[in-house]
Amino acid sequence: MRPSVELQNTRLLHILLHVVAGLFVFAGMASISLTRTSGSGVWNAFAVWIACALAGAVLLNRYLPAHDRLLFPLAMLLSGWGLVVIYRLAPPFAERQAFWLVISVGALLVVALAPHILSWLRIYRYVVLALALLLLLATIVFGRNPSGFAFAPRLWLSLGAFYFQPSEIMKIILVAFMASYLGEQSAAIRADAHDGARTRSLSPRLVGPMLLMWLLSLVILVWQRDLGAATLLFVVFLLLLYLASGDLRILLGGALLIIIAALAAYHLFDVVRLRVDIWLNPWPEADGRAYQIVQSLMAFGAGGIFGAGVGLGSPGYIPVAHSDFVFAALAEEWGLLGVICVLSCFAVLALRGLKIGLAHSGRAFHKLLATGLTMMLFVQALMIMAGVLKLLPLTGVTLPFVSYGGSSLLVCFTMIGLLLRLSTMDTPTRRAGGR
Amino acid sequence: MSIEVAVLILRALAGLSLLAFLFILFLIVWRSMRQLDRQLQASRANYGYLIRRRRDSTKTDSERYQLDAITTLGRSAKNSIVVEDDFASAEHARIILEDGQWWLEDRRSKNGTRLNSAVIDQRTLLANGDLIGIGKLTYQLALNRQIDASAS
Repeated sequence: MRPSVELQNTRLLHILLHVVAGLFVFAGMASISLTRTSGSGVWNAFAVWIACALAGAVLLNRYLPAHDRLLFPLAMLLSGWGLVVIYRLAPPFAERQAFWLVISVGALLVVALAPHILSWLRIYRYVVLALALLLLLATIVFGRNPSGFAFAPRLWLSLGAFYFQPSEIMKIILVAFMASYLGEQSAAIRADAHDGARTRSLSPRLVGPMLLMWLLSLVILVWQRDLGAATLLFVVFLLLLYLASGDLRILLGGALLIIIAALAAYHLFDVVRLRVDIWLNPWPEADGRAYQIVQSLMAFGAGGIFGAGVGLGSPGYIPVAHSDFVFAALAEEWGLLGVICVLSCFAVLALRGLKIGLAHSGRAFHKLLATGLTMMLFVQALMIMAGVLKLLPLTGVTLPFVSYGGSSLLVCFTMIGLLLRLSTMDTPTRRAGGR
Repeated sequence: MSIEVAVLILRALAGLSLLAFLFILFLIVWRSMRQLDRQLQASRANYGYLIRRRRDSTKTDSERYQLDAITTLGRSAKNSIVVEDDFASAEHARIILEDGQWWLEDRRSKNGTRLNSAVIDQRTLLANGDLIGIGKLTYQLALNRQIDASAS
């Protein structure tokens, strides 16, 4: 039969995918070590990356043979690319990032291979949520900023030399909580929506959580000035609610709530007003408050189609380019080709994630969890990429896998771990196909 | 001098490996899509068809729709069969397979659903060859005999 030949071909393709990704990261690291005088630690980072990729690929292949074969290579390519960019921009941070990469891949493997993670997430959802809220509260009270500026948002908790950002872990916990809540309510929500079609009213089961989530996002925004996290959490939550109910009015109502919050925030908070003002027109303040975004646009222009080459561009003009503006630095040195590749990687990531969600059409919790995690990664990537390109107001979120940031990397890899776990479950469609 | 050449070679390598990565990525995605499509086609039971006939036209512009276990008819794009007729409601009628029998159900449509030109007011049993009327359109039920026999 043909399938066996095709299967072998596909295996070969997957191995090739890893090899090509390795080659790419190698080329980047080698260029850095040639063009920079202080590039001694580069090969250590490359060794760490190779070790992580190999260990992950082998262990997943051995203990989770039916997993989605694209998610892990994509995450590894993006994180390896991130290491190269961070090494090129800010070498001291790269060693820390390599350290976090080890922890992140470890977390991915634990989440993907441990047997009961998913049911725990569902059963103990209130405990987990309470812990997360407590962490958030602790950040509001004890939070600090590693850069030490007095006016910078205090989003981090310090643990010795390491800083951790609780709002990152909120992403996973809130998605899991919503998926579990909406999954349990999905039958009732559908029934209400069916009645509602006649009475034209929205179910309180939907409006309640929506308003609650809106308030939580506002709290994050008001007390923490964390525009990115607030927007991201609310948008993803709306998408999940829409998925669970199939009611278009959820999206319209949510958009209305966002507009109200945005208008109010524009008049109340300087951070928000600044972001919107420099989005509408950055040029009058190109040397002042809009310096970062203007330099980012310049970097895109300087990159051209094939880019300036690793270590040959000048993305150093963009302040703190290694965290939020990593996409601009990448665009300058790898050009349009690199940008298209990053976009494709996130697109395929979203495609596979949604496919995993679709495969669980009979199980509301699994479907919503897979879709929610995918949307979280994808919307975040979209927000920061559009922000750096001045297509959207800048919201300070990291580019998943690529940006410098330990907590972000850890959380992104954990999400991929959960998706891998979800992709291996014996789904109804697969059973039907095997018959 | 040699460093510049080496960097140039590395740049070419980086660009080529990026292109290769994209190529393999899309190849894998395309293949898995094709495989999924094949699986879906195979798993979809062939119950039979609904054949659309326009009532007031002499020419035969019939169209065949594959029948699902729950087939919805209506003007809204959400339905499995979209009825393009001004007299059709957004969610007009439903054909369902239950207990090995096919049933026709009106979904509180404004202008009613006809079965063999009589307006139905409750769930009605269907037989092969029945004519279902919505607005100016008529749909004929053409069941697949083999499936029908094995189900009963």
